[in-house]
Amino acid sequence: MTDVLFPVMSEADGATGVIVTWFVDSGDEVTPTTLIAEVAVDKVDAEVYPPTSGVITLLVEESTQTRQGAVIAQVT
Amino acid sequence: MTSTLSNKQSLVLAVEPQAGRRKLSTAKAMQEAISQRMARDESVFVMGEDVGAYGGIFSSTTGLLDRFGPERIRDTPISESAFIGLGIGAAVEGMRPIVELMFADFFGVCMDQIYNHMAKIHYESGGNVRVPMVLMMAAGGGYSDGAQHSQCLWGTFAHLPGMKVVVPSNPYDAKGLMTAAIESDDPVVFVFHKGVMGLGWMAKNDRSVGAVPEDEYVVPIGKARVAREGTDVTIVTISLSVHHSLDVAEKLASEGISVEVIDLRSLVPLDRETIVRSVSKTGRLIVVDEDYQSFGLSGEVIAVVAEHDPTLLKRVSRVCVPDVPIPYAHELEYAVLPTPARIEAAVRDAVAK
Repeated sequence: MTDVLFPVMSEADGATGVIVTWFVDSGDEVTPTTLIAEVAVDKVDAEVYPPTSGVITLLVEESTQTRQGAVIAQVT
Repeated sequence: MTSTLSNKQSLVLAVEPQAGRRKLSTAKAMQEAISQRMARDESVFVMGEDVGAYGGIFSSTTGLLDRFGPERIRDTPISESAFIGLGIGAAVEGMRPIVELMFADFFGVCMDQIYNHMAKIHYESGGNVRVPMVLMMAAGGGYSDGAQHSQCLWGTFAHLPGMKVVVPSNPYDAKGLMTAAIESDDPVVFVFHKGVMGLGWMAKNDRSVGAVPEDEYVVPIGKARVAREGTDVTIVTISLSVHHSLDVAEKLASEGISVEVIDLRSLVPLDRETIVRSVSKTGRLIVVDEDYQSFGLSGEVIAVVAEHDPTLLKRVSRVCVPDVPIPYAHELEYAVLPTPARIEAAVRDAVAK
């Protein structure tokens, strides 16, 4: 099982952001080239790709305030 | 004229391709269309205010500067008349420019270039000079940006001959229509409502994210889409109002009211056949348009049916912005926008009689 982390986008300690959009659902097959999410911290957006291939399970809902570095999904 | 005919043959398919499973937002679908076309056709480039490092203020060009560099993704000064004129010049010389006006509202400072030059050179040259240019712009309100940054105005462009006017409502159409617009040898005004882009900082309808084929494809310009089939009443609409109309149709289906929703996808050419076919079936027509009510798309759609056969129409109404500037105050703005509540009331009224 591999964790997918909320990317670190701000130098501020404990900075939080939101998942703007999940482009996949739990149970979907993903690879490292699958765009799985778009996240935002302060108005800056970033794309998230999984570190490995497998079946994804989403752990955080869209629009929920989430700490940078937190686990947002798992790939098995 | 630089030709990309060899590509075109592989782009235009007899039927629109299956969407597949991969999902994108409308903004990312537009970016992908531009990026794939630029990769295959060196004559395509992008120009406009903040299209480079900023990626377009509504994310229409995010990431393109990194991939293609400043020669082909060109930031311009605030000089709309000059850079639209520059785009026209490049187009008549064989390039395929994509020029962004930013807000549709800004057309006032550059309209001579748009409607006297971009739209008329083909006609005035007896068809000898083509202007294969895309003029893209953001439209629409709902986020308190005031009267000068919230207008739709697609009806204004559609009123003036010589331009195609394309207005996608979802990621699939946005990619296919953008590819078609770039490939068109005629000038295409490509209007994207900010509310369909899937941006995090705006109210987001789930319909702004959807399945999009990974390969290039074309959605033909001028062909409406039956977004939902129904039998009691026809809603003819476009852009963000498609989302609202589909939400209303889903809600009312549980009460046994069957609403057909037609997504026009373009104003010019207007798919009159699909409008007439639907109203022939339902006999009730509601036009939902976020543009101003008078002298625009809504009246034109009703005229299409009336000219074809006025006896088709048992009921007809429209849900548009009344002829006032878009208010800044949230409550006032939502009082004039074609909200789901107003659409629902119009449908109930139509089927009650």
